[in-house]
Amino acid sequence: MRHELEQIEVPGEHEARERSWTIVRAAYAEREPSERRRSWKPIVVLAGVAVVAAGLLSPPGRAVLDEIREVVGVERSQPALFSLPAPGRLLVTADSGTWVVEQDGSKRLLGPYREASWSPFGRFVVAARANELVALTPDGTVRWSLARPDVRLPRWGGTRTDTRIAYFSGGQLRVVGGDGEGDRVLDEDAAARAPAWQQESGHRLAYAARDGSVRVVDVDTGDVVDRDAAVSLLEPQAAIVSPDRRWTVVGWADADQLVFTRLGRPRRVHAVSNVSAQFRSRSFPTIEGWCCAP
Amino acid sequence: MGSEGAHVRGAQRGSASDLEALFRLHWPRAYRAAFLVVHDAAAAEDIAQEAFLAAIRNLDRFDRRRPFGPWLHRIVVNRAIDWTRARQLRAESELVDAPAPEAERLDGTVLAALAALPPDHRAVIVLRHLLEYTPGEIAELLGLPRGTVNSRLRRGLDSLRETV
Repeated sequence: MRHELEQIEVPGEHEARERSWTIVRAAYAEREPSERRRSWKPIVVLAGVAVVAAGLLSPPGRAVLDEIREVVGVERSQPALFSLPAPGRLLVTADSGTWVVEQDGSKRLLGPYREASWSPFGRFVVAARANELVALTPDGTVRWSLARPDVRLPRWGGTRTDTRIAYFSGGQLRVVGGDGEGDRVLDEDAAARAPAWQQESGHRLAYAARDGSVRVVDVDTGDVVDRDAAVSLLEPQAAIVSPDRRWTVVGWADADQLVFTRLGRPRRVHAVSNVSAQFRSRSFPTIEGWCCAP
Repeated sequence: MGSEGAHVRGAQRGSASDLEALFRLHWPRAYRAAFLVVHDAAAAEDIAQEAFLAAIRNLDRFDRRRPFGPWLHRIVVNRAIDWTRARQLRAESELVDAPAPEAERLDGTVLAALAALPPDHRAVIVLRHLLEYTPGEIAELLGLPRGTVNSRLRRGLDSLRETV
Protein backbone atom coordinates (compact mmCIF):
# COMPACT_ATOMS: atom_id res chain seq x y z
CA MET A 1 0.00 0.00 0.00
CA ARG A 2 2.77 2.43 0.89
CA HIS A 3 4.46 1.82 -2.44
CA GLU A 4 1.22 2.54 -4.31
CA LEU A 5 0.59 5.74 -2.34
CA GLU A 6 4.12 6.91 -3.04
CA GLN A 7 3.81 6.14 -6.74
CA ILE A 8 0.76 8.34 -7.23
CA GLU A 9 1.78 11.33 -9.28
CA VAL A 10 1.07 14.57 -7.47
CA PRO A 11 0.70 17.39 -10.00
CA GLY A 12 3.19 20.24 -9.83
CA GLU A 13 5.00 18.94 -6.78
CA HIS A 14 8.34 20.56 -7.56
CA GLU A 15 6.83 23.95 -8.41
CA ALA A 16 4.59 23.84 -5.34
CA ARG A 17 7.59 23.07 -3.13
CA GLU A 18 9.63 25.96 -4.48
CA ARG A 19 6.71 28.41 -4.26
CA SER A 20 6.09 27.39 -0.68
CA TRP A 21 9.75 27.55 0.23
CA THR A 22 9.86 31.16 -0.99
CA ILE A 23 6.93 32.05 1.26
CA VAL A 24 8.17 30.05 4.25
CA ARG A 25 11.65 31.55 3.94
CA ALA A 26 10.19 35.08 3.80
CA ALA A 27 8.04 34.43 6.86
CA TYR A 28 11.05 33.07 8.70
CA ALA A 29 13.14 36.10 7.75
CA GLU A 30 10.47 38.39 9.20
CA ARG A 31 10.34 36.41 12.43
CA GLU A 32 11.92 38.00 15.46
CA PRO A 33 14.20 35.51 17.25
CA SER A 34 12.92 34.63 20.69
CA GLU A 35 15.79 36.20 22.60
CA ARG A 36 14.98 39.59 21.13
CA ARG A 37 11.27 39.22 21.72
CA ARG A 38 11.91 38.52 25.39
CA SER A 39 13.60 41.84 25.87
CA TRP A 40 11.55 43.70 28.48
CA LYS A 41 11.74 47.09 26.84
CA PRO A 42 9.56 46.38 23.79
CA ILE A 43 7.08 44.66 26.06
CA VAL A 44 6.93 47.74 28.25
CA VAL A 45 6.45 49.88 25.18
CA LEU A 46 3.70 47.63 23.80
CA ALA A 47 1.97 47.40 27.15
CA GLY A 48 2.07 51.13 27.58
CA VAL A 49 0.78 51.71 24.10
CA ALA A 50 -1.97 49.18 24.71
CA VAL A 51 -3.08 50.92 27.87
CA VAL A 52 -3.41 54.18 26.03
CA ALA A 53 -5.11 52.68 23.05
CA ALA A 54 -7.65 50.89 25.17
CA GLY A 55 -9.19 54.28 25.67
CA LEU A 56 -7.80 54.75 29.13
CA LEU A 57 -6.84 58.29 28.44
CA SER A 58 -6.83 59.15 32.08
CA PRO A 59 -3.94 61.25 33.42
CA PRO A 60 -1.99 58.05 34.23
CA GLY A 61 -2.68 56.82 30.69
CA ARG A 62 -1.35 60.01 29.19
CA ALA A 63 1.66 59.77 31.47
CA VAL A 64 2.42 56.33 30.05
CA LEU A 65 2.38 57.65 26.51
CA ASP A 66 4.44 60.66 27.50
CA GLU A 67 6.93 58.29 29.08
CA ILE A 68 7.08 56.19 25.94
CA ARG A 69 7.69 59.24 23.84
CA GLU A 70 10.32 60.48 26.25
CA VAL A 71 12.11 57.16 26.50
CA VAL A 72 11.97 56.19 22.86
CA GLY A 73 11.95 59.59 21.29
CA VAL A 74 9.61 60.70 18.54
CA GLU A 75 11.83 60.99 15.52
CA ARG A 76 9.33 62.87 13.44
CA SER A 77 5.75 63.98 13.55
CA GLN A 78 4.09 64.15 10.17
CA PRO A 79 1.26 66.52 9.35
CA ALA A 80 -0.42 63.78 7.27
CA LEU A 81 -0.36 60.03 6.81
CA PHE A 82 2.08 60.04 3.90
CA SER A 83 2.87 56.34 4.17
CA LEU A 84 2.74 53.34 6.49
CA PRO A 85 6.04 52.27 8.06
CA ALA A 86 5.49 48.58 7.19
CA PRO A 87 3.87 46.62 4.36
CA GLY A 88 0.14 46.07 4.46
CA ARG A 89 -3.06 48.08 4.49
CA LEU A 90 -4.85 49.79 7.32
CA LEU A 91 -8.60 49.53 7.74
CA VAL A 92 -10.00 52.61 9.43
CA THR A 93 -13.57 53.56 10.31
CA ALA A 94 -14.51 57.19 10.76
CA ASP A 95 -17.75 59.22 10.79
CA SER A 96 -17.48 59.31 7.01
CA GLY A 97 -17.34 55.51 6.72
CA THR A 98 -14.74 52.79 6.37
CA TRP A 99 -11.44 53.50 4.59
CA VAL A 100 -8.57 51.38 3.29
CA VAL A 101 -5.14 53.02 3.56
CA GLU A 102 -2.43 51.62 1.30
CA GLN A 103 1.24 51.56 2.30
CA ASP A 104 1.92 54.55 0.07
CA GLY A 105 -0.62 56.56 2.04
CA SER A 106 -3.37 56.57 -0.59
CA LYS A 107 -6.84 56.12 0.86
CA ARG A 108 -10.08 54.71 -0.51
CA LEU A 109 -13.49 55.20 1.08
CA LEU A 110 -15.31 51.85 0.93
CA GLY A 111 -18.67 53.20 1.99
CA PRO A 112 -20.74 54.46 4.90
CA TYR A 113 -20.05 51.62 7.29
CA ARG A 114 -19.75 51.94 11.05
CA GLU A 115 -17.48 48.95 11.79
CA ALA A 116 -15.36 46.62 9.70
CA SER A 117 -12.64 43.98 9.78
CA TRP A 118 -10.34 42.18 7.37
CA SER A 119 -10.83 38.65 6.11
CA PRO A 120 -8.03 36.36 7.35
CA PHE A 121 -5.80 36.93 4.32
CA GLY A 122 -6.84 40.48 3.53
CA ARG A 123 -8.65 39.70 0.31
CA PHE A 124 -11.98 40.93 1.58
CA VAL A 125 -13.49 43.19 4.19
CA VAL A 126 -16.62 42.56 6.23
CA ALA A 127 -18.42 45.72 7.25
CA ALA A 128 -21.47 46.61 9.29
CA ARG A 129 -24.06 49.30 8.90
CA ALA A 130 -27.17 49.71 10.98
CA ASN A 131 -29.17 46.83 9.54
CA GLU A 132 -26.80 45.14 7.11
CA LEU A 133 -23.72 42.94 7.11
CA VAL A 134 -21.68 43.45 3.94
CA ALA A 135 -18.73 41.55 2.42
CA LEU A 136 -16.70 43.57 -0.06
CA THR A 137 -13.34 43.71 -1.77
CA PRO A 138 -10.77 46.31 -0.71
CA ASP A 139 -11.71 48.39 -3.77
CA GLY A 140 -15.23 48.74 -2.38
CA THR A 141 -17.08 46.24 -4.60
CA VAL A 142 -19.86 44.56 -2.62
CA ARG A 143 -19.77 40.76 -2.96
CA TRP A 144 -22.80 39.97 -0.82
CA SER A 145 -24.88 41.45 1.95
CA LEU A 146 -27.18 40.18 4.63
CA ALA A 147 -30.00 42.21 6.15
CA ARG A 148 -29.99 41.85 9.94
CA PRO A 149 -31.00 44.30 12.67
CA ASP A 150 -28.42 46.35 14.55
CA VAL A 151 -25.28 44.67 13.18
CA ARG A 152 -22.10 45.13 15.22
CA LEU A 153 -18.56 43.83 15.73
CA PRO A 154 -18.09 41.65 12.64
CA ARG A 155 -14.98 39.46 12.74
CA TRP A 156 -13.85 37.24 9.85
CA GLY A 157 -11.82 34.10 10.60
CA GLY A 158 -10.81 30.74 9.21
CA THR A 159 -8.35 29.34 6.73
CA ARG A 160 -7.57 30.43 3.18
CA THR A 161 -10.18 28.04 1.85
CA ASP A 162 -12.90 27.94 4.48
CA THR A 163 -14.02 30.94 6.47
CA ARG A 164 -16.71 32.13 8.87
CA ILE A 165 -17.84 35.54 10.04
CA ALA A 166 -18.96 36.15 13.61
CA TYR A 167 -21.03 39.23 14.38
CA PHE A 168 -23.65 40.60 16.73
CA SER A 169 -27.21 41.35 15.70
CA GLY A 170 -29.99 42.36 18.05
CA GLY A 171 -27.99 41.21 21.03
CA GLN A 172 -27.30 37.75 19.57
CA LEU A 173 -23.87 36.46 18.62
CA ARG A 174 -24.30 34.99 15.12
CA VAL A 175 -22.10 33.16 12.61
CA VAL A 176 -22.32 33.09 8.82
CA GLY A 177 -20.13 31.47 6.16
CA GLY A 178 -17.64 33.56 4.23
CA ASP A 179 -19.92 33.28 1.20
CA GLY A 180 -22.90 34.69 3.12
CA GLU A 181 -24.56 31.28 3.49
CA GLY A 182 -25.55 29.40 6.61
CA ASP A 183 -26.31 32.34 8.90
CA ARG A 184 -27.32 31.19 12.38
CA VAL A 185 -27.37 32.14 16.05
CA LEU A 186 -24.34 30.97 17.98
CA ASP A 187 -25.18 32.32 21.43
CA GLU A 188 -27.97 34.52 22.78
CA ASP A 189 -26.08 35.04 26.01
CA ALA A 190 -22.91 36.68 24.69
CA ALA A 191 -21.62 40.01 25.90
CA ALA A 192 -21.25 42.73 23.29
CA ARG A 193 -17.48 42.59 23.09
CA ALA A 194 -15.47 41.78 19.97
CA PRO A 195 -15.03 38.01 19.65
CA ALA A 196 -11.76 36.46 18.44
CA TRP A 197 -11.12 33.53 16.12
CA GLN A 198 -8.56 30.97 17.27
CA GLN A 199 -6.18 30.94 14.32
CA GLU A 200 -4.69 27.52 14.87
CA SER A 201 -7.88 25.68 15.69
CA GLY A 202 -10.14 25.63 12.67
CA HIS A 203 -13.39 27.42 13.40
CA ARG A 204 -13.14 27.99 17.10
CA LEU A 205 -14.35 31.32 18.40
CA ALA A 206 -13.57 32.89 21.76
CA TYR A 207 -16.12 35.34 23.12
CA ALA A 208 -17.25 36.87 26.38
CA ALA A 209 -20.45 35.69 27.99
CA ARG A 210 -22.70 37.98 29.97
CA ASP A 211 -21.70 36.25 33.21
CA GLY A 212 -18.14 37.47 32.66
CA SER A 213 -16.66 34.15 31.58
CA VAL A 214 -14.85 33.63 28.29
CA ARG A 215 -16.06 30.72 26.17
CA VAL A 216 -14.42 28.95 23.27
CA VAL A 217 -16.87 27.26 20.89
CA ASP A 218 -16.44 25.20 17.74
CA VAL A 219 -18.91 27.09 15.58
CA ASP A 220 -19.44 24.19 13.16
CA THR A 221 -20.46 21.65 15.77
CA GLY A 222 -21.65 24.01 18.50
CA ASP A 223 -19.42 22.17 20.98
CA VAL A 224 -18.21 24.31 23.87
CA VAL A 225 -14.47 23.64 23.96
CA ASP A 226 -13.81 25.78 27.04
CA ARG A 227 -16.34 27.45 29.36
CA ASP A 228 -13.82 29.41 31.39
CA ALA A 229 -11.02 30.40 29.04
CA ALA A 230 -8.42 33.09 29.54
CA VAL A 231 -9.51 36.65 28.81
CA SER A 232 -6.31 37.02 26.82
CA LEU A 233 -7.88 34.87 24.11
CA LEU A 234 -10.21 37.73 23.25
CA GLU A 235 -9.21 40.26 20.68
CA PRO A 236 -6.91 42.87 22.19
CA GLN A 237 -8.72 46.17 22.37
CA ALA A 238 -5.62 48.12 21.70
CA ALA A 239 -2.48 47.05 19.94
CA ILE A 240 -2.92 46.86 16.19
CA VAL A 241 0.18 45.09 14.92
CA SER A 242 1.58 45.24 11.39
CA PRO A 243 1.57 42.05 9.27
CA ASP A 244 5.33 41.70 9.72
CA ARG A 245 4.86 42.00 13.50
CA ARG A 246 7.44 44.78 13.69
CA TRP A 247 5.22 47.83 14.19
CA THR A 248 2.18 48.66 16.19
CA VAL A 249 -0.19 51.57 15.75
CA VAL A 250 -2.55 53.15 18.21
CA GLY A 251 -4.82 56.13 18.03
CA TRP A 252 -4.31 58.97 20.50
CA ALA A 253 -7.65 60.71 20.34
CA ASP A 254 -6.82 63.67 22.59
CA ALA A 255 -3.87 64.61 20.42
CA ASP A 256 -5.67 63.66 17.19
CA GLN A 257 -2.64 61.54 16.33
CA LEU A 258 -1.77 58.07 15.18
CA VAL A 259 1.32 56.75 16.91
CA PHE A 260 3.34 54.05 15.13
CA THR A 261 5.86 52.27 17.36
CA ARG A 262 8.55 49.92 16.11
CA LEU A 263 8.74 46.90 18.40
CA GLY A 264 12.27 45.74 17.61
CA ARG A 265 15.57 47.54 17.33
CA PRO A 266 16.19 50.28 16.56
CA ARG A 267 13.13 51.48 18.42
CA ARG A 268 11.22 54.25 16.72
CA VAL A 269 8.03 56.18 17.22
CA HIS A 270 6.36 58.02 14.34
CA ALA A 271 3.44 60.26 15.05
CA VAL A 272 0.93 61.46 12.46
CA SER A 273 -1.15 64.53 13.24
CA ASN A 274 -4.51 65.86 12.04
CA VAL A 275 -5.94 62.37 11.75
CA SER A 276 -9.66 63.15 12.01
CA ALA A 277 -9.59 65.68 9.19
CA GLN A 278 -7.76 63.28 6.91
CA PHE A 279 -10.65 60.83 7.28
CA ARG A 280 -13.28 63.60 7.03
CA SER A 281 -14.43 62.82 10.53
CA ARG A 282 -15.70 64.93 13.40
CA SER A 283 -14.63 62.31 15.94
CA PHE A 284 -11.39 60.39 16.11
CA PRO A 285 -11.42 57.33 13.78
CA THR A 286 -11.10 53.71 14.86
CA ILE A 287 -8.25 51.62 13.49
CA GLU A 288 -9.90 48.30 12.66
CA GLY A 289 -6.88 46.34 11.48
CA TRP A 290 -3.58 46.28 9.63
CA CYS A 291 -3.58 43.48 7.20
CA CYS A 292 -1.64 41.66 4.65
CA ALA A 293 0.23 43.20 1.76
CA PRO A 294 -1.69 42.73 -1.50
CA MET B 1 15.88 12.33 15.09
CA GLY B 2 19.22 13.60 16.37
CA SER B 3 19.85 15.45 13.14
CA GLU B 4 16.27 16.70 13.04
CA GLY B 5 16.60 17.93 16.62
CA ALA B 6 19.74 19.82 15.65
CA HIS B 7 17.89 21.44 12.75
CA VAL B 8 15.03 22.46 15.06
CA ARG B 9 17.51 23.97 17.51
CA GLY B 10 19.27 25.77 14.69
CA ALA B 11 16.03 27.11 13.28
CA GLN B 12 14.99 28.32 16.73
CA ARG B 13 18.26 30.25 16.92
CA GLY B 14 17.75 31.90 13.56
CA SER B 15 19.54 29.59 11.13
CA ALA B 16 17.83 29.75 7.73
CA SER B 17 19.85 26.78 6.49
CA ASP B 18 18.51 24.61 9.34
CA LEU B 19 15.00 25.75 8.55
CA GLU B 20 15.55 24.84 4.90
CA ALA B 21 16.81 21.42 5.91
CA LEU B 22 13.63 20.85 7.93
CA PHE B 23 11.52 22.11 5.04
CA ARG B 24 13.22 19.89 2.44
CA LEU B 25 12.98 16.91 4.76
CA HIS B 26 9.30 17.22 5.57
CA TRP B 27 7.68 19.06 2.67
CA PRO B 28 7.33 16.12 0.24
CA ARG B 29 5.39 13.92 2.64
CA ALA B 30 3.35 16.78 4.05
CA TYR B 31 2.31 17.81 0.55
CA ARG B 32 1.64 14.25 -0.59
CA ALA B 33 -0.38 13.47 2.54
CA ALA B 34 -2.47 16.61 2.04
CA PHE B 35 -3.03 15.80 -1.63
CA LEU B 36 -4.11 12.24 -0.90
CA VAL B 37 -6.75 13.56 1.49
CA VAL B 38 -8.01 16.58 -0.46
CA HIS B 39 -7.26 15.46 -4.07
CA ASP B 40 -6.64 19.04 -5.08
CA ALA B 41 -3.06 20.12 -5.76
CA ALA B 42 -3.65 23.83 -5.07
CA ALA B 43 -5.37 23.11 -1.77
CA ALA B 44 -2.65 20.62 -0.82
CA GLU B 45 -0.04 23.29 -1.49
CA ASP B 46 -1.92 25.79 0.67
CA ILE B 47 -2.37 23.26 3.46
CA ALA B 48 1.25 22.14 3.55
CA GLN B 49 2.43 25.74 3.30
CA GLU B 50 0.15 26.91 6.10
CA ALA B 51 1.38 24.04 8.25
CA PHE B 52 4.96 25.21 7.82
CA LEU B 53 3.97 28.82 8.50
CA ALA B 54 2.24 27.65 11.68
CA ALA B 55 5.42 25.80 12.56
CA ILE B 56 7.45 29.00 12.18
CA ARG B 57 4.98 30.98 14.28
CA ASN B 58 5.27 28.44 17.06
CA LEU B 59 8.93 27.59 16.65
CA ASP B 60 10.01 29.21 19.89
CA ARG B 61 7.50 27.18 21.86
CA PHE B 62 8.29 23.88 20.18
CA ASP B 63 9.68 21.22 22.52
CA ARG B 64 12.85 20.19 20.70
CA ARG B 65 12.92 16.83 22.49
CA ARG B 66 9.86 15.79 20.50
CA PRO B 67 9.92 14.79 16.82
CA PHE B 68 8.95 17.51 14.39
CA GLY B 69 7.20 15.27 11.86
CA PRO B 70 4.18 14.13 13.88
CA TRP B 71 3.52 17.67 15.00
CA LEU B 72 3.55 18.90 11.41
CA HIS B 73 1.52 15.94 10.15
CA ARG B 74 -1.17 16.57 12.75
CA ILE B 75 -1.66 20.08 11.40
CA VAL B 76 -1.60 18.92 7.79
CA VAL B 77 -4.05 16.08 8.16
CA ASN B 78 -6.51 17.93 10.35
CA ARG B 79 -6.56 20.88 7.95
CA ALA B 80 -6.95 18.54 5.01
CA ILE B 81 -9.95 16.87 6.64
CA ASP B 82 -11.53 20.25 7.38
CA TRP B 83 -10.92 21.45 3.83
CA THR B 84 -12.44 18.34 2.29
CA ARG B 85 -15.54 18.55 4.45
CA ALA B 86 -16.12 22.17 3.57
CA ARG B 87 -14.89 22.30 -0.02
CA GLN B 88 -18.20 23.12 -1.59
CA LEU B 89 -19.22 25.70 0.94
CA ARG B 90 -18.18 29.00 2.32
CA ALA B 91 -14.81 29.31 0.64
CA GLU B 92 -13.31 32.74 0.59
CA SER B 93 -11.52 31.68 -2.59
CA GLU B 94 -14.87 30.80 -4.17
CA LEU B 95 -15.87 34.42 -4.15
CA VAL B 96 -13.55 34.58 -7.15
CA ASP B 97 -13.22 32.05 -9.94
CA ALA B 98 -11.75 28.79 -8.67
CA PRO B 99 -10.37 25.94 -10.80
CA ALA B 100 -12.04 22.53 -10.68
CA PRO B 101 -10.30 20.18 -8.28
CA GLU B 102 -8.20 17.32 -9.63
CA ALA B 103 -10.52 14.83 -7.94
CA GLU B 104 -13.03 15.34 -10.73
CA ARG B 105 -10.52 14.09 -13.25
CA LEU B 106 -9.43 10.91 -11.48
CA ASP B 107 -9.30 7.56 -13.23
CA GLY B 108 -9.86 4.14 -11.66
CA THR B 109 -6.67 3.95 -9.63
CA VAL B 110 -5.83 3.92 -5.97
CA LEU B 111 -6.31 7.68 -5.99
CA ALA B 112 -9.83 7.34 -7.32
CA ALA B 113 -10.55 4.62 -4.77
CA LEU B 114 -9.28 6.90 -2.02
CA ALA B 115 -11.50 9.68 -3.30
CA ALA B 116 -14.53 7.49 -2.73
CA LEU B 117 -13.79 7.28 1.00
CA PRO B 118 -14.97 9.83 3.57
CA PRO B 119 -12.20 12.35 4.35
CA ASP B 120 -11.49 11.09 7.85
CA HIS B 121 -11.12 7.53 6.52
CA ARG B 122 -8.72 8.81 3.85
CA ALA B 123 -6.70 10.58 6.53
CA VAL B 124 -6.34 7.42 8.59
CA ILE B 125 -5.24 5.41 5.54
CA VAL B 126 -2.68 8.07 4.60
CA LEU B 127 -1.32 8.31 8.13
CA ARG B 128 -1.02 4.55 8.43
CA HIS B 129 0.20 3.54 5.00
CA LEU B 130 2.06 6.59 3.67
CA LEU B 131 3.42 8.14 6.85
CA GLU B 132 3.63 4.79 8.67
CA TYR B 133 2.18 5.76 12.01
CA THR B 134 0.86 3.01 14.26
CA PRO B 135 -2.87 2.99 15.06
CA GLY B 136 -2.02 4.20 18.55
CA GLU B 137 -0.04 7.12 17.19
CA ILE B 138 -2.83 7.97 14.74
CA ALA B 139 -5.33 7.94 17.59
CA GLU B 140 -3.16 10.42 19.45
CA LEU B 141 -2.55 12.62 16.40
CA LEU B 142 -6.23 12.90 15.48
CA GLY B 143 -7.64 12.81 19.00
CA LEU B 144 -9.66 9.67 18.27
CA PRO B 145 -10.24 6.47 20.26
CA ARG B 146 -7.93 3.71 19.09
CA GLY B 147 -10.89 1.49 18.27
CA THR B 148 -12.22 4.17 15.91
CA VAL B 149 -8.87 4.31 14.13
CA ASN B 150 -8.81 0.54 13.74
CA SER B 151 -12.34 0.38 12.40
CA ARG B 152 -11.69 3.21 9.93
CA LEU B 153 -8.54 1.46 8.77
CA ARG B 154 -10.41 -1.79 8.30
CA ARG B 155 -13.36 -0.24 6.47
CA GLY B 156 -11.07 1.92 4.37
CA LEU B 157 -8.92 -0.97 3.28
CA ASP B 158 -11.98 -3.10 2.52
CA SER B 159 -13.36 -0.33 0.31
CA LEU B 160 -10.04 0.10 -1.46
CA ARG B 161 -9.81 -3.64 -2.16
CA GLU B 162 -13.30 -3.64 -3.65
CA THR B 163 -12.56 -0.68 -5.89
CA VAL B 164 -9.04 -1.37 -7.09
